[in-house]
Amino acid sequence: MKKWLVVALLVSVFANFAHAQTGTKKRRPLPYEYGGVVIKNFSQGAGLAPVQFDHWLHRAKYTCRLCHVDIGFGMKANATGIKAADNMKGYYCGACHNGKMTHGDRKIFAACATKSNGQDMKRCSRCHSKGENVKMDYDFASFTEKFPKERFGNGVDWEKAEERGLIQPVDSIEGISIKRPALGVQKDFAIGTKVETMPEIIFSHKKHTLWNGCELCHPEIFAGIKKGSTKYTMVEIFDGKFCGACHLTVAFPTTDCQRCHSKPVR
Amino acid sequence: MPPEPPPELYGNLLIRRTWGTSRVRPATFSHWSHRRKYTCRVCHSELGFAFRADATEITEAENKAGKYCGACHNGRTVFGHEEEHCAKCHNGNLGYGKEKFSELIGLPATKSGNRVDWGRALEEKRITPAASLSAEPPSDIAYDKTLTLTAEWAFVPPAIFPHKKHTDWLECGNCHPEIFNVRKKGTKQFEMTRILKGEFCGVCHLSVAFPISDCKRCHPSIKRYQ
Repeated sequence: MKKWLVVALLVSVFANFAHAQTGTKKRRPLPYEYGGVVIKNFSQGAGLAPVQFDHWLHRAKYTCRLCHVDIGFGMKANATGIKAADNMKGYYCGACHNGKMTHGDRKIFAACATKSNGQDMKRCSRCHSKGENVKMDYDFASFTEKFPKERFGNGVDWEKAEERGLIQPVDSIEGISIKRPALGVQKDFAIGTKVETMPEIIFSHKKHTLWNGCELCHPEIFAGIKKGSTKYTMVEIFDGKFCGACHLTVAFPTTDCQRCHSKPVR
Repeated sequence: MPPEPPPELYGNLLIRRTWGTSRVRPATFSHWSHRRKYTCRVCHSELGFAFRADATEITEAENKAGKYCGACHNGRTVFGHEEEHCAKCHNGNLGYGKEKFSELIGLPATKSGNRVDWGRALEEKRITPAASLSAEPPSDIAYDKTLTLTAEWAFVPPAIFPHKKHTDWLECGNCHPEIFNVRKKGTKQFEMTRILKGEFCGVCHLSVAFPISDCKRCHPSIKRYQ
């Protein structure tokens, strides 16, 4: 009897929670805020501001795969539990932010240190900047000024930016990435919709593997054994699953319906 | 029911985000004058205006850089941000420009809101608002399913929801998934009490789109209607 009550209560609580998410509009993030992540697992304990990580800068220089597969960052803020000690050993941020690696002709500043002097504190705040008044090396507006425009997200068409050579994201770093022969890329295919008159989705593996390889999505997000074996709905996508793992917060958002639902209805 | 302002003030608002900290008077904005020329999606999707007054951080710098109001109010499309034009917006007068309301005479009429049936005006091409500012507008999704939404109360006939009439002005992402998630079999959560609080249909249909006092427009077979 009691068990019943608990289950009923839980169901009603979760049902309310699900409903509470709809009904009104949320604030749309500004272009420079889109893809921003605040990491604060251990910052406060160390007496530092949380880390403000912006995808826009990193994705212009490195592929998604490099950080989320080779280096092993999770796909949700604070899911990785990045420690200063790990960074100093060359894991996570420390894989590149080690004071030795370069990108182009820029040396990448080292992340985290055990001892700190005044100069170091300044370095800390390059990442631990949430809520602090820190002048960043890169300014979003001038950095993205020449990039092809898009409607939502960062207001940048990252795909076209790469096609036109305006960005050349690095896909492998020495000592961490291991090059394997590429798998053949499937042709674009259509994914049917459940609702009549809704245009089908054109999914392009080619566009996705360019940034993500295979491993970022398969097999965890999409089992990917046989086309159609993973069933999902827009509701789940809006809840952050499947396409929503990236296309709500970092990759172009789902509000850009027609960018996926692009196959004309016959 | 929320009290309804006179027709020429319906959908008007004052943007007073910085009122009190800046000396600039609140900016007046009228939906009726803008919606004649641009569909909702132009401002609320392309230009990124929120669905609530003061929720968008519109700044002078952004406007001058061609964002928000400045996308059109740039001195080329229409008057810009130069000093001589300040008072055309920053006048704190909710009824500013109401003499132009008479230009709406002759458009299909209704009994509420602006007293204009904007939907019919658009269908009959009496107004031809631009659907996009972009040179490459996104393709239309020709999704025109009409939903029948069963009412909670037994004596209230169902509401009819035509997607087409909404997509004429809006794009899918304006309502989905934030206002309406696409969960099936879920009319229970958008009961009238929540709509009256400005949620769901109430996001637009209390202050800009025809007001919900016009029961019959959604519940066509309702009987007790003044």
